[in-house]
Amino acid sequence: MNARPLMILRLATGATEDVGETPYGTVSIFPVTGGSFEGDRLRGKVVAGGGDWVTVRADGTLELDLRVTLETDDGALIYMTFTGVRDDPSHYFRTLPRFETAASQYAFLNRLLAVGVGEVFPDGPVHVIEEIL
Amino acid sequence: MLEEDEGGFTPLPDTGWDSAGTQYGRKAVETRLLMTLSVRVAPPTDIGHVPHGTRRIARLTGGDFEGPRLRGTLVPGSSADWLLLRGDGVLELDFRATLRTDEGGLIAMKSFGLRHGPPEVLAALGRGETVDPASYYFRTTPRFVTSHPRYAFLNRVIAVATGDRRADGPIYTIHEVL
Repeated sequence: MNARPLMILRLATGATEDVGETPYGTVSIFPVTGGSFEGDRLRGKVVAGGGDWVTVRADGTLELDLRVTLETDDGALIYMTFTGVRDDPSHYFRTLPRFETAASQYAFLNRLLAVGVGEVFPDGPVHVIEEIL
Repeated sequence: MLEEDEGGFTPLPDTGWDSAGTQYGRKAVETRLLMTLSVRVAPPTDIGHVPHGTRRIARLTGGDFEGPRLRGTLVPGSSADWLLLRGDGVLELDFRATLRTDEGGLIAMKSFGLRHGPPEVLAALGRGETVDPASYYFRTTPRFVTSHPRYAFLNRVIAVATGDRRADGPIYTIHEVL
């Protein structure tokens, strides 16, 4: 499987909103307060707002459901979502990002699938995101 | 610090990841073959123009999958691919299939995907011709759930697949993201 780097995304998160036990598992919402992203083809900052809706499944694995807005250094807005899983015992934190934008210079994002490898750092998660070629 | 041990990288502050997607020489995205899935597709049902594009539904009438850790057949019935041709010419695939392993475990698979390419290549696919799969973009992102203990590893696997559209249905080469 071939992939090439798309961006490294650093997210800053606020205090967790613990929704608690739901019919689907234990839900916590991690608000995104900011961040940055950088790659050869695009870079910029994460707009405050959005978050990651995290569900702890019965088997202990976390199901991720994130939506954020990115703003590039040339002023374009990109809506980004991902679903994914995070399993801390096996150090498996992988995501499937998708992008939507109306900016023609970034229209290639509308047409690609991507994979992210996440890692948790003290000041927030970092995702290495690669385009699936 | 590690960066001094390895040298040659420009790590982002505190993370060690460089812009090439490597961390101290380790590549971020590594994959291995999970299975090859060949499906047979019935002529699609045209729903027509919907607010998001043009919707078609292609039922799956059968199929087989085989990989190092699992093999079996596709269960027809609910299995289908819900296709949406967007206004920008990209085909969105919303695939759902039930897989039965050779020892009877049932696996529910859902996969979102994209297909697009040069008009002449897509026209050849439309005529049922076999086309070099490298000449168009046909990629999907399968997820799996199962209650069978032997296949429980699938419940937390993120996977990516390349598709090869043949006249009677696509062949998906599915890789687990390690």
